[in-house]
Amino acid sequence: MIDDQLIGELRHRCGNDAVLTEPLELLTYECDGLPHLRQTPPLVVLPSSAEQVQDVVRLCHRHDVPFVARGHGSGLSGGAMPIPGGVVIGLARLNRVLDVDIPNRRVTVEPGVTNLEITRQVAPYGFYYAPDPSSQQVCSIGGNVAENSGGAHCLKYGFTVHHVLGVEVVLSNGDMMHLDSAIADAPGPDLVGLLIGSEGTLGIVTKVTVRILRRAEAVQTLLAAYDNIPSAGAAVSEIIAAGIIPAAVEIMDGVSLIAVEAAVHPNFPPAEAILIVELDGPVAEVREQFAQVEAICHRAGATTVEVAKTEEHRARIWKGRKGAFASMGRVTPNYYVQDGVVPRTKLPEVLDRIRKLEARCGLRIGNVFHAGDGNLHPLICYDEKIAGQADLAAAVGGEILQYCIEAGGSLTGEHGIGADKAEYMPKMFSDDDLDVMLTVRRAFDPKGLCNPGKVFPTPRLCGEVPGPYRAHPIEKAGLGERF
Amino acid sequence: MVTESIDGILPRETIEPASAEDVAATLASAAQRRVSVVIRGGGTKMGWGRTPASVGVLLSTKRLNALVAHEHADLTATVQAGARLDDVNRALARHGQWLPIESAFEESTIGGAIATNDSGPLRHRYGTPRDLLIGIRLALADGRLIKAGGNVVKNVAGYDIGKLISGSHGSLAAIVSATFKLLPLPGASATLMAKFQRTDALVDALAAIIGSQLEASAIEVRTGASEEKSGGAVFGRPYRLLLKFESTPGALDAHLQKARALLGDASCEVVSSQSESDFWREHTRAPWISSGMIVKLAWLPASLDTVLAHVDDLRASANDVELIGRAAIGSGLLRVDANSRIQRNIVERLRSRTDVFRHVVVLRADAQLKQQLDVWGPLGGAGALGSAVKHALDPVGILNAGRGPV
Repeated sequence: MIDDQLIGELRHRCGNDAVLTEPLELLTYECDGLPHLRQTPPLVVLPSSAEQVQDVVRLCHRHDVPFVARGHGSGLSGGAMPIPGGVVIGLARLNRVLDVDIPNRRVTVEPGVTNLEITRQVAPYGFYYAPDPSSQQVCSIGGNVAENSGGAHCLKYGFTVHHVLGVEVVLSNGDMMHLDSAIADAPGPDLVGLLIGSEGTLGIVTKVTVRILRRAEAVQTLLAAYDNIPSAGAAVSEIIAAGIIPAAVEIMDGVSLIAVEAAVHPNFPPAEAILIVELDGPVAEVREQFAQVEAICHRAGATTVEVAKTEEHRARIWKGRKGAFASMGRVTPNYYVQDGVVPRTKLPEVLDRIRKLEARCGLRIGNVFHAGDGNLHPLICYDEKIAGQADLAAAVGGEILQYCIEAGGSLTGEHGIGADKAEYMPKMFSDDDLDVMLTVRRAFDPKGLCNPGKVFPTPRLCGEVPGPYRAHPIEKAGLGERF
Repeated sequence: MVTESIDGILPRETIEPASAEDVAATLASAAQRRVSVVIRGGGTKMGWGRTPASVGVLLSTKRLNALVAHEHADLTATVQAGARLDDVNRALARHGQWLPIESAFEESTIGGAIATNDSGPLRHRYGTPRDLLIGIRLALADGRLIKAGGNVVKNVAGYDIGKLISGSHGSLAAIVSATFKLLPLPGASATLMAKFQRTDALVDALAAIIGSQLEASAIEVRTGASEEKSGGAVFGRPYRLLLKFESTPGALDAHLQKARALLGDASCEVVSSQSESDFWREHTRAPWISSGMIVKLAWLPASLDTVLAHVDDLRASANDVELIGRAAIGSGLLRVDANSRIQRNIVERLRSRTDVFRHVVVLRADAQLKQQLDVWGPLGGAGALGSAVKHALDPVGILNAGRGPV
């Protein structure tokens, strides 16, 4: 339990300015990038070193106080939402780049370093760090490790887990250890592979070593405009069938296009769907495949195909795509973004169901998606000032996730389960599947102090009436039903 | 290559389940009887791991060999654990796709590839099996069947238990089936083979290649191969650098020419088509068809010159020394044929150079040598954490008891 003694010890270890208890200071930490899930933390600690993180965790362990690690708070599933009665351990002060090792193609950083900072450090040598979530300017590498972040280019280059060579981790009892990943040939079970994407429920990472890649010799980007999404989707299918793996394949729909045009002015041609395709690699190969991609885009009925002629042009296209979420404020007071995945071939079917759901529920649903890997980002527009709309938006999101599961997909492609989607986990996993994950978790964290209440559905309380979950507003409104 | 005994120890019984449910039931029964279980795929790596005190059940995945689904338009496939890698790839090729996992052994299976996370030269481009694995189905020691991951390439829902199982050597659960992301078969490929008389010339050439924007599929270093043995090699000479390029037919030549230009005055040869595949088969199998201890080494790639010097030094105490490895990753196999005292001494020396070698794992060794050293080496914090996970998933401790890394 958090008491004066614990607060005193934390101040002693980390310094007075590192322990926040004032309501106004605590406000900042109420939520992450998913603002409709809020919880005021009783206490926030801002350690400045791995050793201080270890001290804080040891104290929490001794006092049986749960804790949640927080990077820069840009997560989109409430993974860093405070836990009632728990401590928020903010890692923003652990922001040192510890080693830039060009000959060995690796960089070691503290968890508070931003994703883009790694690329900034190595760009002068012709290298970059591959995972590129849209939030890469602000998101922390520690958060990327917790969420196994991807990005637009993960179709070809993979996720965080494909790029981490090793971590230093503080376990729930305060033990600190270095772990190499399977990429670094560590013998035995790939514990780092398990830690990555565990959403802060297995430990707190205090150092991360990532591999860096040589910049590709050539990058070519095009934007194709279509008057409907299925045509854009057909182009993607044909590209994949031709044996081409683009660096990125993105589709944006009409609603999201209106938003980004208003907010970041990428000057996209008018369209109901914009397809962005990027190829990278050696010049000769890119040249040959890009000509094929251009032809495919035309054949699929593009009204315009715009090839980026300059780096500025390419940057403008990506600004339009990466600015999509942040731009939604131009078309709606609030939005709720979902992150379900479907096998790519099921995209047309699932998008059609979403279109019908939109018509039934009365909320606009924009869509921006990683078309190459079937990762949807439905943007459900709502107004929190209108009673019931926030709940309705959440329920619509749940309905869309149901479609994804029925199509053989997943609840989340890159945003994580967090607090947001924990209740949906039984739709994807059996009780036994979840029990095994929890068994593994207990091996790491017997007391259950690391970010409890996230990822796994909360067990029913004693005395609670067994049966289906409480009815969603969408059901009450007669817009959907339970499966 | 097929062995029914494990380091000379015969299992009390061999079971070949025909279904996932039977695998689970076999484990549950073994746990109840408290007898150890060793899982066998193609039987190609039965000597890997410590020597067990005894083996109760040898669980063969032989009959679980189906390609369950090939969703070619989604670039995914689900395969049972006992399916042979070669057979799987033959089936996937019908749609111009493949699962780029290699093995030195023809009988290697999907389950074995995951359990050992073993890989070959193409790891440079495609990673190890764990990098391609997107979903897994497991039988647990308590008889339950569970899954993790899924059928889609992008998925962060729940713990990635598939990663945990990768490299677990059958110590945590039995793999029943797995889903992988696939790749289109490359349109064209060719290999450039360069020979160097000095290690510094090879290291310089390697730096030029990896500093360029060429994208090779494999970058291999090799010294002391059999060819040189018969010709009377001096130290490891020649030192060879092997570059495999995969690309479109129209672009391949441009890559080869650029690479050739970066290799200086090394003597070079290009192979393609059947001779290329024959060459790589020989290359991958080379250490395994010769006698001696085989050690897997991991080093920081920029210390290749130190590694090569170290390997040359070993020739003072052993005649037959061979190194084959992923030059840009820093991972390779060292084969040393000598008496067990010298072999043990070499392993100890390699392990003492923690500044150069990050991991030193003995994959193949005779029974005598295995008695004298721990094949896995020190696991550090990962050992304790791995044991905690092992105890949680296999509380009776039946799976690969006394043999696996945890």
